[in-house]
Amino acid sequence: MVGWEYPPHNSGGLGVACDGLSKALSDAGNQIYFALPYQHSKSLAHLEFIACHDPKWLEFTKAPFPSYATKKNAQRVDFLPLAQIEQKVAEYANMISKKSKKYEKKYDLIHAHDWMSFPAAQKMKNQTGKPMLAHVHSTEFDRIPRGSGSNFIKRAEYQGMQAADLIVAVSHYTKQVLIDKYDVDADKIKVVHNGIEPLKQSSVELIHFAASRPLLVFMGRLTAQKGAKYFVDLAAAVLEDLPDALFVLAGNGDQYQSLLFKAAGNQLSASVLFSGFLRGREKEILLSRADIFVMPSVSEPFGLVAAEAAQRAVPVIISKNSGVAELLSDAIQVDFWNIDEMKAQILKVINNKKYSQSIVKKQNQNLKNISWENTAKRLRDLYKDVLSR
Amino acid sequence: MPQICLYLQLHQPYRLGDFDLFDIGSEISYFDAADKHNAKIFKKVARKSYLPMLRLLLQLSKASPSFKLALSASGIFLEQAMAFEPKIIKILKLLAKSQQVEFLAETYYHSLSSLYSEKEFEEQVAKHSKVIKKLFGVSPIVFRNTELIYSNDIAKLVEKLGFTGVLTEAVPRYLKSRPRTKIYKSSTKASLPLLLKHAQLSDDIAFRFSDPNWSDYPISASKYFTWLNKYHEDAIINLFMDFETFGEHQWKDTGIFDFFKKLVKKISKSKTSCFKTPSELFNSILTSDGQVEAMVERVYDVPEPISWADVDRDLTAWLDNDLQQDSISKLYELEDQILKSKDQKLLEDWRKLQCSDHFYYMCTKWAADGDVHAYFSPYDSPLEAYRKYSIVLADLAGRLKNHPEKEA
Repeated sequence: MVGWEYPPHNSGGLGVACDGLSKALSDAGNQIYFALPYQHSKSLAHLEFIACHDPKWLEFTKAPFPSYATKKNAQRVDFLPLAQIEQKVAEYANMISKKSKKYEKKYDLIHAHDWMSFPAAQKMKNQTGKPMLAHVHSTEFDRIPRGSGSNFIKRAEYQGMQAADLIVAVSHYTKQVLIDKYDVDADKIKVVHNGIEPLKQSSVELIHFAASRPLLVFMGRLTAQKGAKYFVDLAAAVLEDLPDALFVLAGNGDQYQSLLFKAAGNQLSASVLFSGFLRGREKEILLSRADIFVMPSVSEPFGLVAAEAAQRAVPVIISKNSGVAELLSDAIQVDFWNIDEMKAQILKVINNKKYSQSIVKKQNQNLKNISWENTAKRLRDLYKDVLSR
Repeated sequence: MPQICLYLQLHQPYRLGDFDLFDIGSEISYFDAADKHNAKIFKKVARKSYLPMLRLLLQLSKASPSFKLALSASGIFLEQAMAFEPKIIKILKLLAKSQQVEFLAETYYHSLSSLYSEKEFEEQVAKHSKVIKKLFGVSPIVFRNTELIYSNDIAKLVEKLGFTGVLTEAVPRYLKSRPRTKIYKSSTKASLPLLLKHAQLSDDIAFRFSDPNWSDYPISASKYFTWLNKYHEDAIINLFMDFETFGEHQWKDTGIFDFFKKLVKKISKSKTSCFKTPSELFNSILTSDGQVEAMVERVYDVPEPISWADVDRDLTAWLDNDLQQDSISKLYELEDQILKSKDQKLLEDWRKLQCSDHFYYMCTKWAADGDVHAYFSPYDSPLEAYRKYSIVLADLAGRLKNHPEKEA
């Protein structure tokens, strides 16, 4: 596999997905070599890392690299200048052809994750003639809505998909984006949904904070893609009828400042709160405490966090433009811009326990079909298919 | 000979602690957790500024009976001094005894209540006068508002409370070309006398003293003394500044203490200048029947609030952007409910949250003033100041909602 980030050095959903699917593939008997553009700090049982970094890249050895990521700690968002990412992607491709040589006899196919890895995977394919899978977890059209994203990235995505023997999309929604925006042949794209880790008995002591108030949660990068501003609009609308409700935005992103000003400008300072980026214990506390989870994404290839909320028996409102909606078919599905509909649903969930419970119950049924085991099974079938060509 | 009116401001806010989202509804204090932090800052400033400067003032007042000044200490400064550095209170008491120091009135919580709630403003001024009387044995008769904020409307409020005069800033857009070295009077019915800060001579000490890029750097006491003496003998030179100028903003190694000592000695000995307290100056313009002289040409008409802060000398340090405006509006919207709850703890928290510093930290003006704001802020950014404050606001509103008084 050719990747870009891997937990704990992950900046977003990509690392989580790579971890989930490689574990399940390993359990199913696959041997995985996982290339990364840096030295991973641990060795793991289910795969062998190939560190494709040049010791000269000093600053580059600090993962995660901002691909479409945000810095984990500060409110500031430090994207690497795009030119620098482009350069790293090119350097990665150069390093990988050297570093992967000794593995050449050991692997059968190349499985690459998102555009940062595509040039590297293409190089390996050219050198070895082995088949290549291009796995699309998200596209530039999702990340920067309205098509104003980087042409360099779009070209890298396009060329990677052209070079690949098979394209894996994380959802039917993403498959359609690839067909519409990248003009890829529909037959070449196979949909393989992500899985989810089963919910473990939490060791976290849950804090039922703000106990007497309805709590609505948004969790994700504060970017145009994730539709965070619709969540603030929604807050303004809902507070007219539920003045005690609290709205929490968990995450960082380039819209952080404008969202703070939007909340204050709409006189929501005591009702719309920002927690910053949460992980681990705090993420668990917030998701578990939520009365409703809202994901108003403008374009969401998958949207794992909505399924994580559903696992914690939280009624979920998700954008129709999301991959996870294909699996959580009984969650409340809305157009991301439809504030009136979202508001009506929120009032119904908060005021009607039976309705709330029935959604949770149906979501639990949906969740049974979401597992990394299913993902691995589907991928193994595709591997066989490609290798038998 | 010019009359020198020196006034120094003592204030420290209660900064917020680590109260975060998950503490909402927990009854954890907004400030207690920060006591360590607040105590640390207070002790540090006490060591660098409050104690050495107060000792110097005491020494100078003993050596020169003609040395006088005005001090104003916010209530929350005095609380923290009692808790963290009681020596400060001891020296202040000695200064009060000397009768060479006049204590001024202000809002106990160093708040912007004069702009938001007349009732709250009166409560806080009364609470402050009470603590000053209790500690120092005198009731203040001259008023200075938080950050010298002043307007015609505020003058009306102050007048009602019976003060004999007010200290504020000389702002050219309202003063026009008139000299700032005279006593003015408010544009109100009873004509409250006003002293206006001499920004240039004050800021030469407070801001420029150690600036090597300043064309007059370095200044000696003699040089500064000649500047004072350029003024006519009835001129009043109002040197108003933060107390922390001495030792904190200007560190000891800049020579600030030595400068001040020499300057005071020069003025005290001089036949051409003298120290006056605000109430002495205000008394000087009273007619034999106790009325303020007519002074028709000296009405200071201030329709929009002014202050001594930043380049603009207006309210934009605290109330410029949406973050500041909505935070403070939300806070004062709770007033009725807070008072109805009759809950002392709620009232106390609500009042501490009124301290102007909280809104100052949220300022996003990034011209020359940005540096000053950043210097004083405990936060990495104004956004973080707002983020933390709004979490506390959400909790305060929640506590009110759950208050038993409400159900009764």
